[in-house]
Amino acid sequence: MSFWPHLLLALLEGTVTAFVLALTALGLSLVFGVMRIVNVAHGEFFMLGAVLAWFCANLVGTPVAGFLFAMIAAPLVVGALALAADRLILRRIDYHPEGTIVATIGLLYIIQQAVLTLYGPDARPVAPPVYFTLSFPWFGYSGYKLVVAAMSAILLAATWWLLARTTLGLYMRAAQQDLEMAQAFGVPARRVYAMVFALGAMLAAVAGVLVVPIQQAHYLMGLDPLLLSFIVVIIGGLGSLKGTLVAAFVVGISDGVVSVFFSPTLAKIVATLLVAAVLVIRPGGLFGEERA
Amino acid sequence: MAAMAAVAPLLETEALCKRFGGLAAVNEVDLHVAPGEIRAIIGPNGAGKTTLVGMICGRLAPTSGRVLYRGREITAMRPWERLMQGIVYTFQVTSIFKGLSCYENVALPAQRGLMRGFATRLALGEQLVADRVHAALDAVGLAGAAAQRADALAYGHQRLLELAMALAAEPQLLILDEPTQGLAEGEIAQLCELVRAISRRATVLVIEHNMPVVLALAERVTVMDSGRIIAEGTPAEIERHPDVQKAYLGR
Amino acid sequence: MSGRATSRVLIVHLAVIALLFLAQFALPAYHHTNVARIMVLAGYALGYNILLGYTGLMSLGHAMFFAAGMYGAGLPVYYLGLGAAGALAAGIAAGVLLAAVFGLIALRTSGVSFLIVSLMFAQAFYLASLYFNEITLGDQGFILSGHLAPLEFGGASLGFHEPAVKYNAALLLFAASLLLSLGLRVSPIGRVLIAIRENEERTRLFGYDSFRYKLLSLVLSGGLAAAAGASYALLFSYVGSTFASILFSIYPLLWTLLGGIGTLLGPLVGTGLMFYLVDVASGMTSAYLLVVGVVLVVLVLWFPQGILGTVRAKWLPWLP
Repeated sequence: MSFWPHLLLALLEGTVTAFVLALTALGLSLVFGVMRIVNVAHGEFFMLGAVLAWFCANLVGTPVAGFLFAMIAAPLVVGALALAADRLILRRIDYHPEGTIVATIGLLYIIQQAVLTLYGPDARPVAPPVYFTLSFPWFGYSGYKLVVAAMSAILLAATWWLLARTTLGLYMRAAQQDLEMAQAFGVPARRVYAMVFALGAMLAAVAGVLVVPIQQAHYLMGLDPLLLSFIVVIIGGLGSLKGTLVAAFVVGISDGVVSVFFSPTLAKIVATLLVAAVLVIRPGGLFGEERA
Repeated sequence: MAAMAAVAPLLETEALCKRFGGLAAVNEVDLHVAPGEIRAIIGPNGAGKTTLVGMICGRLAPTSGRVLYRGREITAMRPWERLMQGIVYTFQVTSIFKGLSCYENVALPAQRGLMRGFATRLALGEQLVADRVHAALDAVGLAGAAAQRADALAYGHQRLLELAMALAAEPQLLILDEPTQGLAEGEIAQLCELVRAISRRATVLVIEHNMPVVLALAERVTVMDSGRIIAEGTPAEIERHPDVQKAYLGR
Repeated sequence: MSGRATSRVLIVHLAVIALLFLAQFALPAYHHTNVARIMVLAGYALGYNILLGYTGLMSLGHAMFFAAGMYGAGLPVYYLGLGAAGALAAGIAAGVLLAAVFGLIALRTSGVSFLIVSLMFAQAFYLASLYFNEITLGDQGFILSGHLAPLEFGGASLGFHEPAVKYNAALLLFAASLLLSLGLRVSPIGRVLIAIRENEERTRLFGYDSFRYKLLSLVLSGGLAAAAGASYALLFSYVGSTFASILFSIYPLLWTLLGGIGTLLGPLVGTGLMFYLVDVASGMTSAYLLVVGVVLVVLVLWFPQGILGTVRAKWLPWLP
């Protein structure tokens, strides 16, 4: 294949990556923006979504039914787990920044090793709910991947609607702007925090469900999305949702291009060094407000 | 007056400005402080007093203008270098090392003057430091508190601790930002005594809201409002000044 | 600290070193090597403690310094036949250099940003070690035992495979790291680092360039970590990229927290305890890292001061 078709393939791959990454990173960004904490276990929520999707696929007959069941069940289960973690751990330490980091690292290992115990060390495939190929003159492209992109876009829009048009969203935005002020106006801070944390986890879980027919479900698959989400959130700006979305596309597409033309490992090296560079030059990220 | 004009000022600012976005917190301020003075800076809240001294001690970089100390321009000098020149600042909201003992709090500034060169950064005769620490704690009346944790002290005593720390830093220009805030009557009197004693060795710049303290302590008063100096003179002159009364009453 | 207090502190720490020396004659073979490993890894934790415990900067990237030491020592031995002393020096130099470069770039950030930058740098280092696997042999790694010449010391030839050599070399490294940390702790520089941790702006306004002090702290921290990495390669003969992974950056945080941040002997206690906890757990299940997770959560919720931190707060306030 010559250059241009390669580039087209790279752009397609990059776009799909970008959409899924946007969904995953949005969860992390919301949690940081509203609660001012970093959830290091975020990637494990993604992994749980994928693993639960595998369980759903095995319980139910057809791939389509399995997929739909997973899209509903996985976020609910993961959301419940997140609520529990918030109640039992994060609230107890009053969302102290460094304490939360250490606690969520602990949570990462607890979730990861629990999955290892219950699901095993193998990577297992999940059949996509729909299977069709888009035929380009130079290559065939998996139709499901484009479905993933489309569904991610819908979910991103739904999240935007939640934030911009509902009371809960209003509370979240108020808490992000100025928590004390919001509380003075009657916003129930603790409950909002719990909801935000659950929402962040659910977004990651849904991304995992969407992605699992493309990758496979494996107990270690949470690390890469975590690191990529960090990269996106930092470059886009800690606390800026618009920045997260823009950065997801920048990172996703460049990751796609570098991976196809060079190697995935090199793509990751470049991305990690890029985020370090951004943080150093513009500590607030490209769009974010300056925060320590 | 003539005598004072003949002595070169210790501290000068020339057209000093600090803008935050569209707001000029400090607007073209020309300040001249003579050596050995006790100068009070007063003004309503938001007048720019803390911002002004922030640019003098190095916490903030000015938007434009110059700061001169002993005739040398120090506008670009970093905060730690200014300390070595003798410019010492105590915060409006007490800023100490809460989790450390009072001894350790005062030891940090005390040791700075002894750290000259590589060897003294690695190891210092602890007795040298201890002498300085105890002298500073004695001067503010906290002699017995050396072993106590700083956050175990009452608020007023924490303010005194910060003053002891400032003394241990061997100030030539001591900048006190609302030192009497949160102090009881007796403590205020004690503080005034202390400031008078300090001014025998150092120049003192005090931001204050407490007018009796200003009248008792200050030799000259600078009045600020909305980022500018609106009046300067002796405490008695300032008390009678119509613009000053307007600035305070107009709030 | 007064003269009397310093002597008391010094005695306690020298006693610990002496006890470790004597222990080698009482320990059965299995534990003998374990304790040697623990001492080297405790050096890594001591390095980490200088940055977190004294200076208040949390890093999630220290594995890159450990690995810089490991590769800095291991690669010359493997490919060039360099001797142990030279390899150790090369490893430490690699770590110090990396820490200096990293610090100059990353210390412009603080708090969460610094944490993430350190994580990113370390991850880039790890990925690079995999990317260049013709040289580093990546995950699989390589063994030094055919390549490392025994140490010629006073006429005797000390092979690194001998348990006594391993143990005493590890003890020597640990003792050096411990005494260096102690010296730093009681020095004027140590006082500044702690002040920076407690209130950086106040420290700057009392005459200290906090950036320079943080950089020094990072370089010392990275140097000690690299010394541990280099020693690990030389004494236990294996060099591989797992030591550059994120888990290996989390370990010193875990060990230091468990033992007590900001205490001198805490890292040793934490490393030893966790080593055995993981050892026992891995005999029971392949999901032994669960222990890591549980300990971290328990520490954060109920024992943030760690073991020696709690001991110090309750009974021994003079313990550094």
